[in-house]
Amino acid sequence: MSLPLVEIKNLSLKYGNYKALKNINISFFPGKCVVICGPSGSGKSSLLRCVNKLEEFDNGDVIFDGQSLKSAKNISQIRSNIGMVFQHFELYPHLSVLNNITLAPIQVKGLSKKDANFNAMKLLERVGIDDQANKYPAELSGGQQQRAAISRALALEPKLMLFDEPTSALDPEMISEVLKVMRDLADNGMSMLVVTHEMGFAKDVADEVVFMDEGKIIERSSSKSFFENPKSERAKEFINKVLLKI
Amino acid sequence: MNYEFNWSMLLEEPYIDWIKEGLLNTVQLSLMAWFIALTIGILIGSIRMMKSPVLRFIGTFYVEIFRNIPLLVQLFIWFFVFPLLLPDDLMRAWNSLDGVPFLTALIGLSLFTAARVAEQIRSGITSIPKGQFNAAFSTGLNTFQTYRFIVIPYAFRIMIPAISSEFLTIFKNSALTLTIGVAEITAAATYIESDTFRGIEAYSVASLSYMFTTASVVIFMTWLENFLRIPGLIGKK
Repeated sequence: MSLPLVEIKNLSLKYGNYKALKNINISFFPGKCVVICGPSGSGKSSLLRCVNKLEEFDNGDVIFDGQSLKSAKNISQIRSNIGMVFQHFELYPHLSVLNNITLAPIQVKGLSKKDANFNAMKLLERVGIDDQANKYPAELSGGQQQRAAISRALALEPKLMLFDEPTSALDPEMISEVLKVMRDLADNGMSMLVVTHEMGFAKDVADEVVFMDEGKIIERSSSKSFFENPKSERAKEFINKVLLKI
Repeated sequence: MNYEFNWSMLLEEPYIDWIKEGLLNTVQLSLMAWFIALTIGILIGSIRMMKSPVLRFIGTFYVEIFRNIPLLVQLFIWFFVFPLLLPDDLMRAWNSLDGVPFLTALIGLSLFTAARVAEQIRSGITSIPKGQFNAAFSTGLNTFQTYRFIVIPYAFRIMIPAISSEFLTIFKNSALTLTIGVAEITAAATYIESDTFRGIEAYSVASLSYMFTTASVVIFMTWLENFLRIPGLIGKK
C-alpha cells in the first residue's frame, strides 16, 4: 500500500465555543476519489478547509504529502499543490477568465505569461469553455464559472483537488456539465476529496464515502457498500432522506 | 452696491503672475499630496485588516491621530513644532531647504488625507467576501500577493466614488496651507485683494480656479470609474 497523501491526526476545530470538528483521525490515499457527505453542520466543509489550512485548527495536525501543516513555514507553497473548488466559484470578478487562471501560475510558480496562457487555454479546452477565455466571470453562466474555477485550481498541477459543494449553487442542467468534468478528473487518476450532496456522483464515481455527523466521522466505506449496506443507523437515515427524499 | 468691476486688471502684471503661480502651486501640491495619501492610505487601510495585533495597532493609531486633529493644527505642528524636535544639524539642513512651506504643506496634507483614505480602503476591504481570500490563498498566493492582485484592485473599484470625493477635498483643503506661507491660489487672491482692494475679482478667480480643477478631477474619475467597471456587473455600459 502506498503512503497516504493526507493524514489527519486528532484534529479539532472550534468556532468560538462551537466545536465544528471533534478529534478527527483519517487518512486519504493518492489516486482515490473520496466523497465526504453528511447533514449540514456536520463539519464536512470545515474538514476540507483544514486540509489546506484555510482554518486555523486548535488541536491535532494535518500531514500533506509528508509535510506537517501545523508547523509549516511555507504554507503558501504547500497550498499551491492542493487545488480547491468552492460552492460559489469565487472567481476574481475584476479579472478575465484567462487571468483568473494564470495569476497563481505566474505569481506562485514563476511561469512566463506565455506559458501560463498556453496551459490555461489547454485547460479551458478540456473543460469546454475555451471560447470564454477573455470574458469576465459575471458574463458566464454558473456552470461555466465553476468549470473556469476548476481550471484555475488545475492550473497549478495539484497533487490533490478539494471540492467544497461544487454543484450546490447551480441549476440542475448545469450540475451535469460540472460533474462531467469532475468524473473526467477522477477517471484520470486525480486524488480528490469531494464534499457534495450529489449521491449519484458518490455512487458512480467515488471510490469511497466518508459519512460525517456532528463534527465526527461516523463511517467510512467503499461507495458500493455505503449505499447498499450502510453500517450506522445515522447513515441509513441520511441515505433514505437524500436518495428517496422521504 | 456701488462697485465698478475691473476684471481686466487681473490680466495685468504682476497679478496675472501671482494667479499663475498660485494655480500651479495648488495643482502641484494637491496632486503630489494625493499620490502620497493614496499610497500610505492603501498601506494603512490594509494593515488594519491583518491578523497581527501589532500591525493592527499601528494602523489604528495612525488613523486616530491624523483624522482627529484638525488639519490646520496639524499644519502648524509640522511647520512650527516638528523642526524644533529635530537634532540641531538636521534642523539646520531642513531650514536651509528651498520651499520649506511647500514641503511642510505636502507632508501635512498627505498624512491627514491618508488617514481618511485608509478608512475608505478598509471599508472597501471588509465588503469583499471571505471566499475571495480563501480562493486566493488556496492557489498559494501569500497575503501580500492576495492584497496586491485581488483585494486592493477589488476594494478600489468599490471605493471609487468615495475616493473621488476625497480627491476633490484635497484640492479644497490645500487652501489652508496659505497659513504657513504657501503661495497657492487662495493666497494669491488675498495678495491681489490687499494690493488692489478688488476682493470680488480676486476671490472670483480663486473660486473659479477650484471649480475648474475639481471639474477636471470629476471628469477624470468618472472616466476611471467606467474604465475599471467590471464587465457583467451592474452599471457597465
